[in-house]
Formats: sequence, C-alpha cells, structure tokens
Amino acid sequence: MTNHLGDMQNSEAIIIFGANPAANHPIAMQHILAAKEKKNATIIVIDPRYSRTAAKSDIYCRIRTGTDIAFMYGMIRLIRDNKWYDKKFLNDRVYGIEEIFKECEQYTPEVVEDITGCPKEILIQATAAYAKAKPGCLIWNQGWTQHTIGSSNTRMGPIIQLLLGNMGVEGGGTNILRGHDNVQGGTDMGCLADTLPGYYGLAEGSWKYFSERWKLDYDWVKSRFKSKEMMEAKGFSLSLWLHGVLDEANAKNNAGTPLKALVCIGNGISTITMTHKVKEALDKLDMVVFIDPYVNDAAVITTRNDNLFLLPAASQIETSGTTVNTGRSAQWRFKVVDPLYEARPDHEILFDFAKRMGFYEQYTRALGDGKGNFQWPEDATREIARTLKTIGLQGWLPERIKAQTENWHMFDTVSLAGYGPMKNQYYGLPWPCWTEDHSGSPVLYNINKPVSQGGMGFRNRFGLEHNGSSLLAGAGSAPKGSSVKGGYPEITGDNIESLGIKLTDKERELVKGKNWKNDNSGILNKKAIAAGLVPYGNARARTIVWNFIDPVPKHREPLHSIRTDLIKKYPASADNPNHFRTAVRYLSEQTAQDWAKDFPVNIVSGRLVEHMGTGTETRASKYLSELAGEMYGEIHPELGAKLGIRDGEMMWVHGTAGGKIKIKAKYGYSVLPDQVFLPQNFSGMWQGEHLGDRYPEGTAPHSYGENSNQVTSYGYDQQTSCPETKCSLVRIEKA
Amino acid sequence: MTASTTGRLGRRSFLKLGAVAGVFGATGALASGEAIRPASEAELKEAFAGSKKIKTVCTHCSVGCGVVAEVKDGVWLRQEVAQDHPISRGGHCCKGADMIDKYRATNRLRYPTEKVGGKWKRTSWDDAMGKISSKLTELRDTYGPDSVMFLGSAKVSNEQAYYIRKFAAMFGTNNIDHQARI
Repeated sequence: MTNHLGDMQNSEAIIIFGANPAANHPIAMQHILAAKEKKNATIIVIDPRYSRTAAKSDIYCRIRTGTDIAFMYGMIRLIRDNKWYDKKFLNDRVYGIEEIFKECEQYTPEVVEDITGCPKEILIQATAAYAKAKPGCLIWNQGWTQHTIGSSNTRMGPIIQLLLGNMGVEGGGTNILRGHDNVQGGTDMGCLADTLPGYYGLAEGSWKYFSERWKLDYDWVKSRFKSKEMMEAKGFSLSLWLHGVLDEANAKNNAGTPLKALVCIGNGISTITMTHKVKEALDKLDMVVFIDPYVNDAAVITTRNDNLFLLPAASQIETSGTTVNTGRSAQWRFKVVDPLYEARPDHEILFDFAKRMGFYEQYTRALGDGKGNFQWPEDATREIARTLKTIGLQGWLPERIKAQTENWHMFDTVSLAGYGPMKNQYYGLPWPCWTEDHSGSPVLYNINKPVSQGGMGFRNRFGLEHNGSSLLAGAGSAPKGSSVKGGYPEITGDNIESLGIKLTDKERELVKGKNWKNDNSGILNKKAIAAGLVPYGNARARTIVWNFIDPVPKHREPLHSIRTDLIKKYPASADNPNHFRTAVRYLSEQTAQDWAKDFPVNIVSGRLVEHMGTGTETRASKYLSELAGEMYGEIHPELGAKLGIRDGEMMWVHGTAGGKIKIKAKYGYSVLPDQVFLPQNFSGMWQGEHLGDRYPEGTAPHSYGENSNQVTSYGYDQQTSCPETKCSLVRIEKA
Repeated sequence: MTASTTGRLGRRSFLKLGAVAGVFGATGALASGEAIRPASEAELKEAFAGSKKIKTVCTHCSVGCGVVAEVKDGVWLRQEVAQDHPISRGGHCCKGADMIDKYRATNRLRYPTEKVGGKWKRTSWDDAMGKISSKLTELRDTYGPDSVMFLGSAKVSNEQAYYIRKFAAMFGTNNIDHQARI
C-alpha cells in the first residue's frame, strides 16, 4: 500500500477492484465504511461477483473475469476526453502518459461494454463519480494479480491514480489489501526467487553487498552455488516449481537438474493452481519436508510412502519478532507463551540444519558478536536494519518497534501520528524509515511534507532520461523544505556535493564510490535528509515499462477465455521458454482448443471470512469449522435448472487441466448463470474421497472439503508467474 | 508489554463485574443454605491475580489487529480485543477472536513425524533432522544445490523470513519463494 488503512477515512471516493474486504479484511472494511459514514465517500466496486463488499457499494460494475484492463482504458479515455485529469501532476511528476492516451483510444464505452459485459452507462457513471471526487483511493487484491496479465492490472491502477493526481495525497494512493499477516514483511525480506532481501536483485553488485553485510567473503558465497550464472538467475517460483519436478526438459534452465527435494516452511501449497499436478510433483520428489504448527494439507494429498517429514514449528505467538502489515507498519509480535509440545521456532530449526550441514558459523556471523553469542530476534532485527537501505529500514530498531507496540494507544487512527512520548513518529514506522530517529512515512510520494517527516517524490530508478525526455521530476515538485526545488538523481558519493551539500574531507573519503543503497556510513542519507532531499532522488513515475513484454499495458484475453471470438484481437503473449526456469505456454495454450465449448462456466474464486489460505490453521479450529465447515459451489438457479441440479444437490466440477471435484451446489444470485463461485479455503477431500484417515493420529482438522484448485487452469502471469486461478473455465455435471 | 489495568473501568470490565454479581445474586436468591465464599478483592479485579497482559498481533491477515493476551504461569488464560489499538480499534473478525483457541488446539502437530513404508511414525528431532540433513547434503553433492526447492513464508516474522532467504543463499540456490507469488 502507498497509504494505510486508517487513511481511507480521508477519501472522498473509494474504488475497489478484485478485492472483497468485507469478507477478507473485515477490520480494514471498517475504515472504508467510516469514510462512507463520515465523508459520504462514494464506494465503487468492480468485480465479476456481487460480493459482500459490492453489497455496500454505491456503484457496482460487474465485469467478466480478466477484463479489468479494458475497463480501465475505458475510464482513462473518458478522463482524457472530459479533461478530468490533473494536468500539473502529469506535467511535473509523470512520464509516458501520451502512450497511455494512444492505447486508450480504441476503448470506447461500446467496446468496453462488449469486452467486459459492463453496461457503458455504468462505466460512465463510475468514472465520472470517481474522477470528480478528490482525493480518491484505489484498492485491489488477488482479484487482480492471479491472471496472466495481472502485472498489467497492477500497473493500470497506479496509472489511473497518477492521471487523477491521487498519488502522494492523504485519502488517495494505490492500496493493496495483502493476504497473510506478514506477506509484506516476507516480501521485503526477499523470500523470493528473483531478488535478495530489500529488492536488491540478484546481480553481482547485490551479492557483493550482501556478502559484506553477512560478514562473508563473496567468493565463498559464490562457491556455494553451481555457477555465477545460476547465482544471478531467477529461481523456480511458488507457482512453477512443480514443473521443475514433472517436466524434466526444464532441467536445462536449472543447472541441468530436475528438482529432487522440497523443503516447505509455513506455506499452504494447495493454493496454487492445479493441485492435482502439485500432488504428482510431491509424489515424484526424492524427499519432502513440511515445517508447520499443523499438518500441512499437502502432506495428506500426496500418496508417497517414504521420505516425507513433518516437523512441528512453533506458532507465531510462541516466538517473537517483527511483523509488517499491509500498510508497511511494523509491529512487534510479543511472545505470549512458550512453544507447546515438541514444537520449535522456525529459526531454531534452520540453525539446527545449518549446523548439521556445516555452515552455521557463516550463517550466523552477522548476529551479535559474530562468534555465536547473540540475542534472537533483536540482533537479526538490527542486522536487517543495517542492511536493507533500499526501502529505508535503517530506523527499524527493535527498541523502537517494541516501544511503539507497547504504546499503541498513543497513536491516531487516521493519520497514524503519535502523541506524547510517541510524538514525531507514525505508528509502525511505515517504511521508508530512513534513519534511527526518522518518523516513518505513512503516505508514499507525498511532497507536502519534509523528507524528515515522511515526505518524498518518486524514486529515480530507471535512469535520467528515456527517448530524449528527462525522467527527473519537474520544477516545483520537490518535497516541502527541499534545498533542490525540482527533480534530482539518486544520491551518490559522487553527486551529493553538486546538489549543494557540503562534506568534510573525512566524509568525502567515506562515501567515495558509494550510493544511498550501499553507503554503510549513513552519511549520504543523513546529509540528504538534513537538506530536505530524498536519498533515492526525485523522479517521474513511469507509465511505460520498456523492459516488460507489454511496455504499455495491454488487454489480453485469458488463456482459457469464455469469449473465444475475442482471442484473435486480444491474443495472449508468446510462449516463454524460460520463465522462472520453466517453459511456460501462453499463446499455444490459449489456442490449443476451443476451451469455452467444452468448459462453458467461469470460476470466480475467493475466501470466506472464517478461513485463511488453505484453511490448514482455521479448519483446525472447531469454532471456525462450525461457522463454515463445508465446501460448496455457488451457482445461479438458471444454471442449476439447465444442468438439472437443485439447490443442495451434489455436482461434479471438471477443470481444463483434468482435475475434478465433487461439491454441493448452493443457489445464489451473487453469480451470473455462466459463473460458479468456489471458496479456496478447503482441502482434505480429493475427487470425492475423504482423506481424513490419512492424517497422523490426533492431527486431523475439524472440517474438510474439496480443494478448489484441483479445477483451476494452467496459466501464469507473463511477468511475475503468479498463477491464473481467476479466469479458469470448468464444466459442471450433476453428481 | 503490560497493558495498563489501573484507573478507568471499561465497558467490558463493567459487564464482567455485572456477570459476577448476577451469579452471586441468583445463587443467593436460591438460598439453599450453602455458604458461598465471597469473591476476594483480587478476584474481582479485571485480571487474574498474578497474571500479566501481553500485547501482541493477530497472526491471520495483513491488517495487523491488536490482541491482548492474559497469561499466568506460562498459560494463555484469556484473550481480549485491543480497544486502544490504532488500526483495529477493538475490532476482530471471527478468526482473530479465535486466536487463543488456535494456539491451544489439540490437533496441532505435536512431535516430528516421518512417513515410513506408507505409515506415519513418531520420531525424534535428532533423528528427523539428521536424516533430512544427510539427504539434502547428498542431493547437493550429486545434483547440485539447484536440485532443492525451498518455500518460505508469509506466516513467519521478518527475522525468520530473512533467515530463510539467507539459508537458501548459503545452500546455494535461488529456488526460494513464498506466498507473495499468489
């Protein structure tokens, strides 16, 4: 999120795409409803399903799954033609909007209606209401990311906000309601196939920086890898690893080897697409290890007989550490009790593995005195603070985070500003928190505040110019109190003095050849902030990404589109021979057969308020199981009548990739007659078979259900490889 | 770490006191002659005598709601919403309200378990860790470090997530990912 949850109370309009906070983030929804009550904010919901959030909206736009981009280009065209855009903002702070205006030309309200199914009058009404209300807040969630073009969806939202001048203002911003409790932190910490912690990437310079921060020799770290090439190559991703097991042709992208073992720590892998293929991969591996407080449902999905280990991890209230919410706020999760039974905290399990595999000393050298004497987790918090400069974690010291959590009553909900002893800091020190005494930054890209109080422009990340145009921000767009009035590049040891900042000879020596991302002395940051400058520079936001498959975001039909007639005009991108080490089909999958003919019903998937992820934790609860203990598929009575399936009867749902599930039909009007809503939180039933007796003694959950991803389709985002669960097609039959 | 328990009487604590008084009164009215021990001053306080209240954070979704856990002798006794938390303001969904039961659920994985010949078998940490480490080392030596896939987590702390990433790096592979990819 660029802003934060309480800040939504400052919004005059809130537009929600592919998110259902009423069910998935009920406490975030309270802030949205407060905006409606206090400011009469207009709530606009764009969703294929009339969700509980849609039920609270003023304007509801029902679109076909996977057509958000067409809808948004329709909005942009209307904003352009009616001159509802913020001209000054575009002039000073944005690059490439002309290309967007060119692309939107084809998306007339009539074309948008044809592609999306949303009546053009509703599109116009929603666009006018949103564009005229300032500030407007834009929200999305996994309804946007789980598509082959999810990465284009997530670019279009910010483009609309830039166009309307809604970025960097309270009550505005692009606000992603993320899933798990520490998904923001886990991402910041680089548990990712394509980057080191803090989004440093995988290039040699990053590895050298991290080797130094880990107090290790770069050559030793390099020697751990098969080659320098593999060290700098993206790994298999969460959604694609199974293809590294099943399709041995991918070995050529993986240093010549298929995957042989999986070590899975706190991850419900039945939430990725095609669970029946995940099962095949689990069955085929040489060894599988699950580390969880409960039995991972995948451990009973696999029918392998040996080399399957379940290690009991402590729950997160049996250990302590930093957790980061969706608004970039850090909180200290204090330990409540010691781990129960034989459970051990995850880090202790990792330390034990490192000892047994002979690299414990190197693994922990950056902690404490470097000789094995350290305090967990505080010394790790400090290690992270002195390492992750890119997102400004220098100020996230354990003492500060703990003091804030202990004093959470001394912060304002809407602004996050602290009172009394907590004055001059925002709750959770939302990153960037540039220095040990920085306030944190509750609203990203806000130039109405000094940098020392959370102000900043856009980051200078993509060079100084492109196609002859400057990428630096225009005049008058620097944060309040800045010594430089317009744009400037990211701060380096070489350019800092040219920006009017004086250094002593000693300081000059210390920052020579350094930049704000690797200056361990902290001088560049402190000097820049004292002069009102942002360490990362002040640049324009770019609307075109020249290194992406679609430099300008494009509508492309889903791989399995119900509108076969539109595929020719809006085809998928070309097949990719090495996408996160995997050969991934796009156009060839889309055109392999007339999918809609055999699979005429669109899946709309989502969560239930009672459950989280695969439901491994929540279905282990007897109370939550009592509230929502049964898998179902919601269908429109018209579809039921056509298929001869009555409310409450069982039906078989068949997926395009060969999976099938037997579930109860539930009649409802939140879906259209060509849709089925499937909750994604169930597991433990397998194609009609109950897997309860496969659990180790005494570990079975209180509720079971067919796992919906047995019937979701093949398909992965063309940039990120996020699975395309949201546009899957199915065939339904009476059971 | 310990929430203030002094001074003002919150609505909830008022209701709690009311409930205690109600039970006492009803029993009194039945007057079977049994002596009811009057609740002591300490018992009538909002918290159990000798307990402490720990502020912590819900482990379900990314909103980050406050949870107040009352703990005595290492046992989590009662859970309270955090009325004064700046984000959740005393709100909880059904998952957050169930935090205490989630932790003390009897169907947790209680000890290391291995599947041998198709049957689950209780094993020791030492045995399981030894076998897994040997196998990982053998795979690394035979096929290279890229023969192993690590999946990390959006359900662990920053510090643990950072150390999961570091572990994969030192094992020698970028085959590491987590739930942000879905």
